[in-house]
Amino acid sequence: MGCFQSKVTRQYPGHEDPTILASQTAFSVSEVEALFELFKSISSSVIDDGLINKEEFQLALFKNRKKENIFANRIFDLFDAKKKGVIDFGDFVRALNVFHPNVSEEDKIDFAFRLYDMDGTGFIERNEVKQMLIALLCESEMKLADETIEAILDKTFLDADMNQDGKIDISEWKNFVSRNPSLLKIMTLPYLRDITTTFPSFIFHSEVDEVAT
Amino acid sequence: MYRKIYRGDFKCHLWFSPKARRTKEELEFEAFNGDKSSKPETLNAFHIISLSQGFDLSSLFEEKKREEKEELRFATMRLASSVISRLEEVAKSVKFNVKKSESRVRLQGQECGRNGRLTIVADIFVVTPSFLVLEVKKDNVDTLEYNQFCSKEFRPALKDIVWTSPAENPTPA
Repeated sequence: MGCFQSKVTRQYPGHEDPTILASQTAFSVSEVEALFELFKSISSSVIDDGLINKEEFQLALFKNRKKENIFANRIFDLFDAKKKGVIDFGDFVRALNVFHPNVSEEDKIDFAFRLYDMDGTGFIERNEVKQMLIALLCESEMKLADETIEAILDKTFLDADMNQDGKIDISEWKNFVSRNPSLLKIMTLPYLRDITTTFPSFIFHSEVDEVAT
Repeated sequence: MYRKIYRGDFKCHLWFSPKARRTKEELEFEAFNGDKSSKPETLNAFHIISLSQGFDLSSLFEEKKREEKEELRFATMRLASSVISRLEEVAKSVKFNVKKSESRVRLQGQECGRNGRLTIVADIFVVTPSFLVLEVKKDNVDTLEYNQFCSKEFRPALKDIVWTSPAENPTPA
């Protein structure tokens, strides 16, 4: 098992022992191994280096490696916890963990906040929300009058920005989400409960002698 | 936003008598209309932003192309009442049954297909009083049947209420 582990680590920089990853996340060891099957396929799709780069991520998400999207960029940046410009297996599992149905709402709320806080200032500013809104309308090929966009922002900030300082801090965000729980919908992937059935081939590559579920 | 009323899977089993089937429909009708908060939900900027394909990580796990996804979403500048009337007209023209509330319209075919009756649910969301988002999805029905119905009957029928970017409209605002 020691030989296998060092071989895998050479091929997949940042690969961590599935048992350790399982202990730190909501995933079982089998589920981590199944995620490794998914990771292998994504990380080898453009450059076979055991890491997921931006193009590979875009390919997996949009079936188009050249498609740029500011929201996918945000997700990629948050997955890339070590800020190396690539996602390794440990990053992958830890980030996907936040989307697990069993993970606490608090973790999801925090992740969503960081997602929308594009410049990482610790506040979601009005101009950031405007930028994201315009990007979404562009993505959907819709163009709204500026006054309509401002009306939407006004309404949103009236609801979310309790001290009316033009930006949303983490406590205002938590309060806002508690009143609008549907905002967290994007933070849960029901697929993660069935990962071992989606990628059953993990059984053939299992590193762990006794699969502890 | 995606307030789902979880119902049992009302399949059209051949061994149920017509009378029993009607009872199931009545139950379904009650379940549908039992939801008292029937006013359209208001979407804020974050709801809209979260609609992005870039946030939909389910694509990592499935092979399905975007076109085969089950939800249709489009914008309209008509009033909710006008949208509902239009949907009722569509339903009538294809001989579908309609159940409606202020925020949801349910269209159900008369004939039993492979998975029961073709059922389509349209939810109305308010962005601003003059700008709505309509989300259409299938319920308990075969994807192929649904896609065919959508492309051949449903979408063409709704063409006049779907709002598109001003750049595409030849007439000035």
